[in-house]
Amino acid sequence: MKRPGLVKAVLIFLFLAFLIQGGLRLYRHRHFDVSVVAGPGVTRVSRLSDFGPGLKGTMADTLVYFMEGGEPGGKAILMSNTHANEPEGLLTTLLMLENAVVEKGSLIIIPQFNHSASRNTRPGDGYPLYFEIPTDWGRKTFRLGNRDASPLDQWPDPDAYIHYPDRQLLSYIDVRNTNRTWPGRPNGPLMEKVTFAAMEIMRREKVDVAIDIHGAETMFPVTNCIVAPDKSIRIATLASLTVKAREGFDNHVEPSPTGFRGLSHREIGDYSDTLPFLLEAPIPFLDQPTGPKTEKLLLDGKDPFLLSLAQKKKLFVPYDASGWPIEKRVGQHCSIILEILRQYSKKNPDRSILARDIPRYAEVIQNGVGHYFHDPAGAEKDCLYPN
Amino acid sequence: MPIIMILYYLITAYLVVLLVWNFIREKKKIEELAQYLLVLIPLVLRILRIK
Amino acid sequence: MSTQIGIILGIMVLAYAVAKAMRLTVEISMFLAALAGGLTGVIFRTPPAGELIRHLVEGSATYLDVILVFSTATIFMAIVNESGGVNYVVRATIRAFHNKRLAALIVLMIIVLIPGALTGAGSISLLVVGAPVAMALKLLGISPKRAAAILFIIAGLSAAAPPVNIWAMILCAGTAIPYVGFELPLAVPVLICGVFTMLVLGWKKERSINLASALQEMPEVPARMTWWRVLLPFLVFFGSVAAYRIFPFQTPILGLPLQFTLSALVAWLVSPSKIKVLSLSRETVKRLLPLISTVVIVGMLQQIMTATGVRGLLSYAVISIPLVFLLISLAIVIPVSEGVLTYGAAAVLGIPLIWYLDSIGFHATVAIAGLTLLWPLGDGLPPTALIGRLSVMVSDYKGSYWEFLRTTWLPWLFITIVGILMVVYSAKLSFLVRWSM
Repeated sequence: MKRPGLVKAVLIFLFLAFLIQGGLRLYRHRHFDVSVVAGPGVTRVSRLSDFGPGLKGTMADTLVYFMEGGEPGGKAILMSNTHANEPEGLLTTLLMLENAVVEKGSLIIIPQFNHSASRNTRPGDGYPLYFEIPTDWGRKTFRLGNRDASPLDQWPDPDAYIHYPDRQLLSYIDVRNTNRTWPGRPNGPLMEKVTFAAMEIMRREKVDVAIDIHGAETMFPVTNCIVAPDKSIRIATLASLTVKAREGFDNHVEPSPTGFRGLSHREIGDYSDTLPFLLEAPIPFLDQPTGPKTEKLLLDGKDPFLLSLAQKKKLFVPYDASGWPIEKRVGQHCSIILEILRQYSKKNPDRSILARDIPRYAEVIQNGVGHYFHDPAGAEKDCLYPN
Repeated sequence: MPIIMILYYLITAYLVVLLVWNFIREKKKIEELAQYLLVLIPLVLRILRIK
Repeated sequence: MSTQIGIILGIMVLAYAVAKAMRLTVEISMFLAALAGGLTGVIFRTPPAGELIRHLVEGSATYLDVILVFSTATIFMAIVNESGGVNYVVRATIRAFHNKRLAALIVLMIIVLIPGALTGAGSISLLVVGAPVAMALKLLGISPKRAAAILFIIAGLSAAAPPVNIWAMILCAGTAIPYVGFELPLAVPVLICGVFTMLVLGWKKERSINLASALQEMPEVPARMTWWRVLLPFLVFFGSVAAYRIFPFQTPILGLPLQFTLSALVAWLVSPSKIKVLSLSRETVKRLLPLISTVVIVGMLQQIMTATGVRGLLSYAVISIPLVFLLISLAIVIPVSEGVLTYGAAAVLGIPLIWYLDSIGFHATVAIAGLTLLWPLGDGLPPTALIGRLSVMVSDYKGSYWEFLRTTWLPWLFITIVGILMVVYSAKLSFLVRWSM
């Protein structure tokens, strides 16, 4: 090698250019806050660390919003961003936070359930870092997170994850997946502390209904559905039949498998009196055989490869050229949640939960998701929660 | 930060030192120099708590 | 869209070919392919120009923990080797088994199977026990080429063996199938294929060596070396792996890199001879550079392939093949995907494949077990060839890589047939899952 000093200098310059250009973007993503405008229904805001030890001061701690009605009734907890790369859940809960008013009973909402994952990116999978939703006042930017918590917050992984307390062997990466670490424990790995704290909320607040909001691939059999264990399956079935009859969309019911541990729909029911439900809306962006992983695909769900596979009957949901847009996914989630609460309230009138100003399926499709978000610039300071 | 995680940062830092040392000592092969720097990218990002 | 992605894929292949033609290393050629693919993608704004470097940098972190495992495990074994521990064990093995060939081959196979089975990584088997086993095989009269071939196949099988099979775990995590009932569907074919491999590649004595001359060929062992000095570091490693398995809720999660680091410290402390750890570590990292840079670059490549749609196109192409051709093509598609994407292949091809097979009546658990016999074969294929290259490295084989790979043809074919038959007859073999539970 001629002039090794010069060659090294050039290589070091390129190295630093890569590190600074790429690293800064990743750093900014981890520290980017989404402004949440708490609506008129939010009565108090707490933190997950108030319910479980070991979360204070960590990236796993997250905001818990309480929306308490004037009349006593039942309680429901809604969780989104359990998997922070399934944004329909987050948009649904934020839409409720900014607009809903609870008249009877209470709603407890944790929009960034796996807060660490929401500040993590997914190496190897080529995601965009952010996505933008058009609103009536401009574009609102959100972080696109990962399925699992960041290793910056929980490191190392074991060679295989052993589920507590059933000792089932799970993939090593599931130790950072908050839909495998239920029911959690106070002195376990950080993500077990997260699920333990959520279980504590359910036990202490005597929560009647828990809804964990997700998105799933169109090629995944458990998609476009409500997953429910035996104790919740009747309400899930009634909710599914009602939305089909009244609002015209399909959302079947899947029984929660008893042999697969660590999932919210399994463990919440087994370790508390709460009735769990897990909602899945189809999200083509997560499918493997798609074109480039762009923000557009994330939001409109249109993909030519999936369309071709749909024609070959290889998808588990109806799919046409209109794709599976975010409005449809969020709209479905809103209607299903409202229907679960209605069916539960009908069956348990003394524990009923009544909320207004939550749009249903058709309204969200017609108005767009962004229509329901309020401008942080015009909001009262004490209503703003950067998260 | 838990003690085990601190030990992981120390292991990573030890590797970074070894790679940088080898990079400095290498005088002949450009490709090897480039490979050292490529391997350093994720390790340095982890130590800086970026990724 | 297919045309756009096809152009990007074409440019990537072309960049790789040109780089290889210019005699650049496999690693740098792969990096240039990723860079060329990314730059072509920028023309179509997939990814946008400003995001290209971020994608490369982010992709480099995909297998960061694997880099740490490789590095700490190799430094650990380098210390054991430097202390004379490896020679000590091999001498003892040869003394005990030199005239019991079948028993020697089976014992050596089990020694290689255990670390990979416990950790899910064939590389761990090779890094921890590869060098002493290779030496023992050579002293049984097996050529370095055949010894490397044996190590490659058995290390691959060790990664597939229960209890930890990372491909199956990735597939289960991605398809919401519980990781249970895999013990017999994995253990039975692994043992059958393992014994077959040992007999095919190891039975024939290529040169005859008597005990005295075999022992004479080996380097001297320090006089103060004893069994406990050799075993203690391994006990620390296997003990810490086993402790988490037996008492998972009382044992802190140490992770493989720290387990290897602790074992390395113990090996250093009990070594009868003085070891300069820093310079030994530096040498080890230099030796490992091709492997760890491959791991970093595969992460980059994977990220660019996804951001540009190339990965999706490949996945789509595989799923679109008619069923019979699909099953036959598994013999090629699965190993090649592993050669390009390593573990990423299980997610890219495996997940949609299993969903599809499951929906048309195949038994998912047995089908996954069958597929995971085929993936390790790809670890011998370029561009990555991670396990193949490690096998060559630890067995000190100096000849052509292709010659080494060709030596594995019969076990390779046997494993392929077993794997595909397991997928095809998965429903009929479902009793293996029931018996495991």
